[in-house]
Amino acid sequence: MRPNRILEKAYRESVAVGKNTAISETRQLLEKRKKRFKLFLINSKVDMPFLLLTLLLLILGLIMLFSASHPNAYHFHKGNSYYFIKSQAIWAILGVVTLFFMSYLDYHHFHKLAVPILCISTILLALVLCMPVRNGVHRWISLGPVSFQASEVSKFAIVLSFAHFISINFKRMNKFKYGVIPYAAILAITAFLLYLEPHISCIIIVVLLAGGMLYIGGVKLRWFGVVLIVALAAVGYLILSNKLSYASARVINWLDPFNPNVNNWQTKQGLYAIGSGGFWGLGLGQSRQKHLFIPDPHNDFIFAVVCEELGFLGAFIILLIFSMLVWRGIVISMRAKDKFGALLGIGLTAQMALQVILNIFVVTNTIPNTGISLPFFSYGGTALVMLLAQMGIILSISRNVNLEKT
Amino acid sequence: MAKGVTVRMWRRALLVLIILLVGGFGVSIFRLVEWQLIQGKDLQQMAMAQQLKDIAINAKRGTIYDKNMKPLAQSVEAWTVILEPVYLKSDESKNLVATGLSEILMIDKDEILQKMRKESFYEIIKRKIENSDRDKILAFKKDNKISNGIRIIDDTKRCYPCGCLASTVIGFTGLENQGLSGIENYYDQELTGKPGRVVTAKNAIGMDIPCEHEQSMPAQNGRSLVLSIDEYIQGVMEKYLEAGRVHNNVVNGAVAIMMDVNNGEILGMATEGYDLNNPFDIKNEEEKARIETLEKEERSKAEGEALQKQWRNKAISDTYMPGSTFKMITAAMGLEEDVVNEGTRFNCSGGFRLFNKEKTVHCHKREGHGSQSFLEAICHSCNPAFIALGQSLGAERFYKYYRDFGLTQETGVDLPGEANGIFFSKDGTMQPMSLVVASFGQNFSITPIQLITAVSAVANGGKLVKPHVVKQIIDDSHNIVKIVDKNVKRQVISKQTSQRLRKMLQKNVEVGSGRNGNVPGFQIFGKTGTAEKIGQSGQDGKDYIASYCGCAPADDPQIALLVIYDTPKGKDYYGSAVAAPTFRTIMEEVLPHLGVRKKFTNSELLNAGVSAPLLIGCSVDESKEKLSRLGLKVQVSGPIENKVVSQNPKSGIIIPKGGTVLLSTDSTIPEQKVAVPNFVGLTLSQVEKLASLMKLNVCVSGATNSGNESKSVRQNIKLGTEVSQQTVITVEFIQRANIF
Repeated sequence: MRPNRILEKAYRESVAVGKNTAISETRQLLEKRKKRFKLFLINSKVDMPFLLLTLLLLILGLIMLFSASHPNAYHFHKGNSYYFIKSQAIWAILGVVTLFFMSYLDYHHFHKLAVPILCISTILLALVLCMPVRNGVHRWISLGPVSFQASEVSKFAIVLSFAHFISINFKRMNKFKYGVIPYAAILAITAFLLYLEPHISCIIIVVLLAGGMLYIGGVKLRWFGVVLIVALAAVGYLILSNKLSYASARVINWLDPFNPNVNNWQTKQGLYAIGSGGFWGLGLGQSRQKHLFIPDPHNDFIFAVVCEELGFLGAFIILLIFSMLVWRGIVISMRAKDKFGALLGIGLTAQMALQVILNIFVVTNTIPNTGISLPFFSYGGTALVMLLAQMGIILSISRNVNLEKT
Repeated sequence: MAKGVTVRMWRRALLVLIILLVGGFGVSIFRLVEWQLIQGKDLQQMAMAQQLKDIAINAKRGTIYDKNMKPLAQSVEAWTVILEPVYLKSDESKNLVATGLSEILMIDKDEILQKMRKESFYEIIKRKIENSDRDKILAFKKDNKISNGIRIIDDTKRCYPCGCLASTVIGFTGLENQGLSGIENYYDQELTGKPGRVVTAKNAIGMDIPCEHEQSMPAQNGRSLVLSIDEYIQGVMEKYLEAGRVHNNVVNGAVAIMMDVNNGEILGMATEGYDLNNPFDIKNEEEKARIETLEKEERSKAEGEALQKQWRNKAISDTYMPGSTFKMITAAMGLEEDVVNEGTRFNCSGGFRLFNKEKTVHCHKREGHGSQSFLEAICHSCNPAFIALGQSLGAERFYKYYRDFGLTQETGVDLPGEANGIFFSKDGTMQPMSLVVASFGQNFSITPIQLITAVSAVANGGKLVKPHVVKQIIDDSHNIVKIVDKNVKRQVISKQTSQRLRKMLQKNVEVGSGRNGNVPGFQIFGKTGTAEKIGQSGQDGKDYIASYCGCAPADDPQIALLVIYDTPKGKDYYGSAVAAPTFRTIMEEVLPHLGVRKKFTNSELLNAGVSAPLLIGCSVDESKEKLSRLGLKVQVSGPIENKVVSQNPKSGIIIPKGGTVLLSTDSTIPEQKVAVPNFVGLTLSQVEKLASLMKLNVCVSGATNSGNESKSVRQNIKLGTEVSQQTVITVEFIQRANIF
């Protein structure tokens, strides 16, 4: 940690400056900065712990994906056990290339891209509603052989745009007009479009991400109180008016997972798998629940197979690696040279962390079943590339950290 | 530092990090602890329940063999048809399968469709189908390209190659191959064996998955049983028992038991029986027809009763009053206690006046037997003599022997459902009146197996043995696992007593009331019995149980045979008339089968027939000489100077003493034929006269004497049959008078 005194001094200075400056001044600041940007950061070093943890998780994820997916691949893809892992491995290679590319790319370029990406995200969210329904929801956008979830883009768009807006308006964040209204508007539009899909889990992630970033960005706590009250009222209304029937059935299943009358096959099978693992696990490749008992064990419920094969010990270690990655991600962000980098890094780290946490909450029946995949582990090529690209951005931030070490 | 991270951001980011690590990862780990470490075992079990396929490997049920290793009950391959409705989604395929199966298996189509509605992997359609039906189903599956949905799994079916033979002894099995009655039930555990198991892991659609969990335990096949019952003897017993039952119009069932007197092995145990391969069919046609006319509820009730009745082993489950056959036991008591000997005189005035002098127990011969020795009293089956014997024994001694002969408890025969006799009181005290009637076997009841066991003790030198039907228990490869040894419970009477009594009883069979059961040469000894049934007298007066119990041979007793007819409604009801002929015919066939050699007494030798010599090719004079040496007469057809070209009876055929042989010396002369006349209902002299008139030889069987008491009852060649002259016809006699 840097000495508090220096920090406080800097803070006071910045507040003093902020009182007298206007938007134009900020722009000038940005102009100045631009000149200092390099396209690529060749001579700086990435944060090795973060890179290694990322690659470790990627490898573990691929191994577990193969183990979890081969019975399904065998049964549903004409005996081709490698169906899922082959595709995922190709995407993983692409993802690693993207990761390194992103790590060399100066993240400040995203300042310029923030608004266009937000616009594209909104358009995609609107567009996805016209796409054909899969499993009762509109989530996927298909471009020939490649398809991706619009919500993946929107999560990134929210993180990026918030980091962008908060960093340039940092001094006015304590004002309602600058600190709350624009963000609330962006969030409301995104959440509404996600609600139409519907994609509740993504709304939860987006709202939590936005809230976290605004909180770190310096929004006064009382506004959170107001938002919380409004949110609770809205949820209460929706529950009372039974508009969330799609979600409410899941809530009922959640409360009583082993009730035979309840249609929660996936949750139940997942819990069987977790329980079967015990402390030591059945051994890599020895899961029995993956043999068509757990529907799509390569997707959202892959962690149940991990628990069954590697036991509590393995699951604990994997969660530990994830925690270390999160911790490292936030440390990198906090050492970023500027607020944009800090906020962007925190946002991206938190997005990954929230995905992991919510996925495990679903698998362990801590919250009702909702479709959230496990980063690095779940099957999904575009999502993996997206994730690795985001990790690359964090690495890019790590190249720009202040030299001072804590 | 303006653009850098502020302290507040640091603080807030730290808080977010803590929330993520504690609230997110911490809670996750807490949940994993809960599911994996606390509830892990339970969840694992629930998971196993769906993952592990526990295939039972059926243990093959053991075979039941007769004494000579002829299988009487064996398990054969059969198949069970299982439906997996989960795989039959479309109405079209459901309909196709239902139609196909209903046609092949003859089941209602709607019933199959009903079962298809369930979301299951296992619906039993039909069990224990034959190979032919299985092949039809396989062909049906192939023709219609049905890969999933119908499964045929291994099963076994119990098969009884001898059908009805010894049905109430062997018993049958249920759907799960569990023994329901008879030996199948009594030895169920030995026969069943231990089913093996293969535990494999399966995926959600039931296919095996590679898994280190696979375990297998081989099935331990059931043991096989070797019975002491001889299929041949059993068959003979059933044949003649049934013939006698029909002939005498016996309405309440019949029993025959044959036992090895020395070691208690049951050689045969015949009752009316049923078809073991269809135990749920009512065998009695009349009964079946009557039941079919009944209303629904009554009908199923009547059906149940009829089935219970036909499955019941009367030989061990029903009690009866032994009547005069019990006199063998009473006589043994008297001889053993030395209150009587062969020469002891008894006087019979035709009845025994009871203690209050008001009622009289009559002897079957109302005019009385007069003064007689004890031997004569046995031969006469004189009731007053035995009452007197009972009186001199006294109730205490009577009961002591009664108990020692094993009549107060089950014999312990290895068959289910054995009943116990009913004595006058539990502690053995008897009213004076009870002792009077008990002396000649009335008013108490015992099971047939109890009587034959007691009689065996009389015959074998006084040892009470435990009867049993299973001789050996053997394993798959016919190694002996267990031999059922002779089990002597106690010595009841002395060897000498047994020997003395055997002689007297042999006399009874030779010349006394037991004559109808005699097979000359086999030294049979025994006693008839005719018991009055209490409280069961129908509209036509009293009902009786006719029985005959005897053993052979007297110098070295080997087998005992008891024949009982419950309630004969024919012309006769006496044991000597109803049961004795069955006894005799069974003994006649069984004793030679057992290898018992005939030993004739001198008088018997005189009556025995001779084997016809080969005379073809001899001159007439030569033949005449040969035949006269054998005591046979000659009838010649054709010129006397020629040589013999044919003879009747042919060489080797037994011709009665004094019979005639027809010799033909000219093959051109046609054979002289005669129509067989009616020989039934005549006395011996009438039969002989008729035979010489018709130019036939008559071989006499059964009890005959020169008087009018003995009448012929059967002839072996039917009335009106055309036979050659001098053919030997066997005519059977029984004694009607002076028998009880």
